Amino acid sequence: MKKKEKKLNLNRRNFLASTASIAGLAATASVVPISISNANHTDGEKGLPEFISWKDRNALIVHSDKGIETHRSAIGESLITPNRNVYIRNNMPTMTDDQIGNRNDWKVSIEGVKNPKTFTLAQLKKLGHTTMASILQCSGNGRGFFEHKVRGSQWKTGAAACVFWTGVPMKAVVEACGGVNASAVFMTSAGVDHEPTGLDPKKAMVERSVPKVVFKDAMLAWEMNGVPLPNAHGGPLRMVTPGYFGINNVKHLGRVAFTEKESSVKYMKKSYRISPIGKKGSQYPSCWEMPVKSWITRPTDETGTVRAGKVQIVGVAMGGTKKVRSVKVSVDGGKSWKRAKFIGPDLGKYAWRQFAFEANLKSGTYNIASLASNGSKKQPELRMENRRGYAHNGWKDHSVNITVV
Amino acid sequence: MKILRFLLIILFYFIISIQNTIADEAKMLKGLEIFNETAACAGCHTMKAAGAEGNVGPNLDTVAGLTVESVIDMVTHGLGVMPAYGEEEILTPEEIEIVSTYVVNSAGK
Repeated sequence: MKKKEKKLNLNRRNFLASTASIAGLAATASVVPISISNANHTDGEKGLPEFISWKDRNALIVHSDKGIETHRSAIGESLITPNRNVYIRNNMPTMTDDQIGNRNDWKVSIEGVKNPKTFTLAQLKKLGHTTMASILQCSGNGRGFFEHKVRGSQWKTGAAACVFWTGVPMKAVVEACGGVNASAVFMTSAGVDHEPTGLDPKKAMVERSVPKVVFKDAMLAWEMNGVPLPNAHGGPLRMVTPGYFGINNVKHLGRVAFTEKESSVKYMKKSYRISPIGKKGSQYPSCWEMPVKSWITRPTDETGTVRAGKVQIVGVAMGGTKKVRSVKVSVDGGKSWKRAKFIGPDLGKYAWRQFAFEANLKSGTYNIASLASNGSKKQPELRMENRRGYAHNGWKDHSVNITVV
Repeated sequence: MKILRFLLIILFYFIISIQNTIADEAKMLKGLEIFNETAACAGCHTMKAAGAEGNVGPNLDTVAGLTVESVIDMVTHGLGVMPAYGEEEILTPEEIEIVSTYVVNSAGK
């Protein structure tokens, strides 16, 4: 064993301590034959990673320490998703308090404007103040329904949340800088969370370009649901691009530039492209605007059997970049549909609406589904097949089977 | 005579068993070497069995539902900042199979 240990240490990389290899060998040496040595990662046996130990474990499905989904029935019974229930999907490690330093001293540079400037968070707070509700949804929410084997977390419905953001409107920031350069086509936001990793920024920096017009409704947020933006959600400052998929809401924001071209980093050019299965490339559409979508949150197979009689079928519906106009519910797998009522407050076109439908159900099994429309587009029945399992809004996969007794 | 024959059969299976175990351990050691050295997976992933403490990608001890097939797919094609070790020919298909087998049998241990 010592001979092998020595061999392994000959090419030791700088980032690994020699003890790592020794520990690895010790573990390996005791390994039993491969055929009966399988890791068992059953849900419920694991806790939460330290950086989000404050979250509600019972509300969450742990795909990995960096991919954590909200249970279908836990996205917010009263419209807004509580922070402790909001999903986690981070491309880079969450920055620590030490790396962030004094939050009010956090800097963001604004470029591609008449008068480029760098603002501290304290200075941003003097430029303007607003609160907005918007949906945060991972591009791959619904990936778990795709039948081809898609890499990445197998999200079903819970890589989505509706939250209140508080911060400064991007319009106010732009005005303070004299306006956007006329030649600009995109608003390009860059995070700095790759910096502590020392990785090549071209491969690791989360820099996302969206059409310039998005800035008119965008904001730089420092609060989430009334508390300082948690580090795990991009604190102390995050770009919010309402109506656009989560990846464009860049965390740990360090720069916003109005640019003529899209960013050339990997996360813009290669990743998050909606391409046919078996194909890839920057010629395919980027994960930008979210499509109209809805899903039932109660009752579901998670909430157990349902008693016969009156049943309140509730869920959430979103219009993407347009206001959601209507939702229909089916209790017979889509053969017939009836209109559901919107309930609760309307928090604007970028928030989701809750809906409720009262059904009278006898004992038996039912497939219940919801179908939303934003006036110009409605949910399709089937998913749009694509290589990476993005942008799923088909109603059929999102339906649930319930048992009424 | 029957007893001798029985003992020979037992010995035969014992030797085969030892050979398999040695082969499995050799494969696991090679997997560890690829994980920590050749592919430097340890630079970005935590996995206690390898003594790895990287924090860029998921902690492999926490990843649900790992299979050799899914890890081979991930290592071959990459994801996000993770390189496509197969497509970019950083590792051979054989090395990918070995390191994937190693990860599946070591994660969570």
